[in-house]
Amino acid sequence: MLRRAVAVATIAFAALCGNRASADDILVGAHMPLTGSLARSGQAFDEGMRVAVQMFNARSGTHKLRLRVIDDESTPAKAVSAVEKLVADGAVAVIGGYGSNIVGPASDAANRLDTTYITAGAASDELTKRGLKTFFRINNNAGYQRGMVGLLKSLKPASVSIVASTKESPSLLAKGLQRDLSAEGVKVTLHEFDPAITDFKPIINKVKLQDRPDALVMAAYENDYVGIIRAARILKPSVKLIVGAWALAVPKLYQEFPDLMNNVVGASFLPFPVEIEDEEGKGFAEAYRKTYDKDVDYHSTLSFVETTILAEAIAKAAEAGTLRTGGLTEAMRTTDRKTVLGPVQFDATGDNPRFSVAMGQHRAGKIVLVSPRSAATGDLVLPARPW
Amino acid sequence: MTPLTPTALPRGGAASRAALPGKAALAAGLLVLALLPVMTGASNYMLGLLISALILAGIALAWALLGNLGGMVSFGHAAFFGVGGYASALLSGKLDLPVLLTVPAGGLIAAAASLAMLPALRLSGPYFALAILAYAQIFRILATEASWLTGGGAGLQGIPGLPSVFGLDLASRTGSYLLLVAIVTLCALAYAAVRRSPVGLALRAIAESEDATRVVGVNSILLKSMMLLLSAFIAGVFGALNAHIIGFLEPEYAFSGIWSLMPIIAAIFGGYRTVIGPIGGAVIIYLFDQVVAKGLIAVGHQIILGIVLVVMVLAAPNGLLGLIRAKGDRDAAA
Repeated sequence: MLRRAVAVATIAFAALCGNRASADDILVGAHMPLTGSLARSGQAFDEGMRVAVQMFNARSGTHKLRLRVIDDESTPAKAVSAVEKLVADGAVAVIGGYGSNIVGPASDAANRLDTTYITAGAASDELTKRGLKTFFRINNNAGYQRGMVGLLKSLKPASVSIVASTKESPSLLAKGLQRDLSAEGVKVTLHEFDPAITDFKPIINKVKLQDRPDALVMAAYENDYVGIIRAARILKPSVKLIVGAWALAVPKLYQEFPDLMNNVVGASFLPFPVEIEDEEGKGFAEAYRKTYDKDVDYHSTLSFVETTILAEAIAKAAEAGTLRTGGLTEAMRTTDRKTVLGPVQFDATGDNPRFSVAMGQHRAGKIVLVSPRSAATGDLVLPARPW
Repeated sequence: MTPLTPTALPRGGAASRAALPGKAALAAGLLVLALLPVMTGASNYMLGLLISALILAGIALAWALLGNLGGMVSFGHAAFFGVGGYASALLSGKLDLPVLLTVPAGGLIAAAASLAMLPALRLSGPYFALAILAYAQIFRILATEASWLTGGGAGLQGIPGLPSVFGLDLASRTGSYLLLVAIVTLCALAYAAVRRSPVGLALRAIAESEDATRVVGVNSILLKSMMLLLSAFIAGVFGALNAHIIGFLEPEYAFSGIWSLMPIIAAIFGGYRTVIGPIGGAVIIYLFDQVVAKGLIAVGHQIILGIVLVVMVLAAPNGLLGLIRAKGDRDAAA
């Protein structure tokens, strides 16, 4: 009995203490939804981070990073616990996570612990209104809104129906789109839905019979997109375009739901198969393919960029000898660089005002960038719907 | 159902007095155990886990109170937890009331919300369980739809944190932990007092046979209503505390089925017919899952917890405390 108790205590102690960073490397923590409702995105983020650390370590002479990722199980309390554990174990900064509702409490915890926190998975405007000193992010609602409005304006639709989750980021995005498109003289009808619903046929029926729009816009998450497009494929409203925001124009969704995704348009950074101009992007795509035997995608690119920016700021602060005395936050604020996603700078709230997205269209397993004109790798094929 | 044996009834007179030093020692031991993490300077992470475990313990206690005293099996305690959280967050955030006042107010509002469930008290067994599950869904939808008040699906951010009292910052991990230890203890004492009282005896008799107790003149509906209100109050208080500790609420999180399911698992694991069982069950399950199981399998650790629970339910249907007692009885007999 005593031996068993000692064994259990040893396992617990090892779990608590066994992952401390050694004196030679710098521990960077991350919390990601590796299980739960957001796991699909979390796993892709995880891969991008690991490749970024691998590439940074390969080119850095003196400073080596060690990444430790904790599964936050898509729940806020466990994300907070993960931040506390990572900081207690000596992490100099935390990368996380996915979903504004999880990033909000987790970044609050990091701020309380005076630890730099960067995310590429939370676009809500509320996050940057909190005035946290240690919070940074590279993407935001404004960038997605600009990308989607740009595409819609170029098509000059008479009316648009927006189907939006009532969750924070989709809801804010939908309202922003409604405001911008209405200002352009477009008739906009907003249909908000409870995130718990899975049957979208009643909403799509309203869109088909009452709104009769030219375009169906989705502000939601992966599982919602699948449900909405599945309902639309059954009811076939007479729309010319189905367009969504984040995490829609990704190869993985096409691989899993080819009959639902073909011709659909979503926010994207890179075409697929990947065509990258700059050297850093090419290196990333190559290293990613070597490690995971597949091409980079939307989420892995986001996490690659955020991790690279953080890694460079860590190196800068370490060179100055201020890594553990507040220098990392200052080094983050001096960021001003071109990345595979475009330019990244941080304003006083930690937001990246220069973030913008292109729009990509699923086309028989490929993703073609169709907007804006400057980033396009092909023309938009209409009708942009899977039937 | 376990028959109501004489040993399960409250002891009185000399027997009770003889048990007192033992109970005092047990209480002192538990208190020392509860204060150990603070005395040994546990990390914020460990205290954070204990805080989450104690929140779960509070709801497990509320659930066990309803199940043990009155025989009502609830699948909807998430409703009280969510209502308590939203009520306290809104009262403190929108009306600027002190958080220490809005936390019990959250409990009272959750208790008031439970009045809507009174018609379900006419039901029993799985019918009651299903009805209360439906009520929980109704409250979740109300929180989503009343976006002018609750922020809808987007939820509430920046909920005021716990204040400082007599120099102790309750918003700190140590402060929150000590507050939760105190409130869990208070709730356990209240539960134990009700359980020991004639009302508790009548309620346990109702749990065994409601018809029989009505025949002898017990107003079973009134007593069950009182337990529903008390249980909802306790769950609401812990919902309120959780909201102020996490600083965030959305309907999907506040009314998540996890808040209904995990307390049941914790109470059954610990022994839902006892006062200490649900608390111990919640703390052990949560820490085992997050420290041991997650340490062994970082992703998908829930499978270990699932196996442990299956083994536990098969080996000890009366929970951990039942298992310990049975072993004690066997040792005494030997």
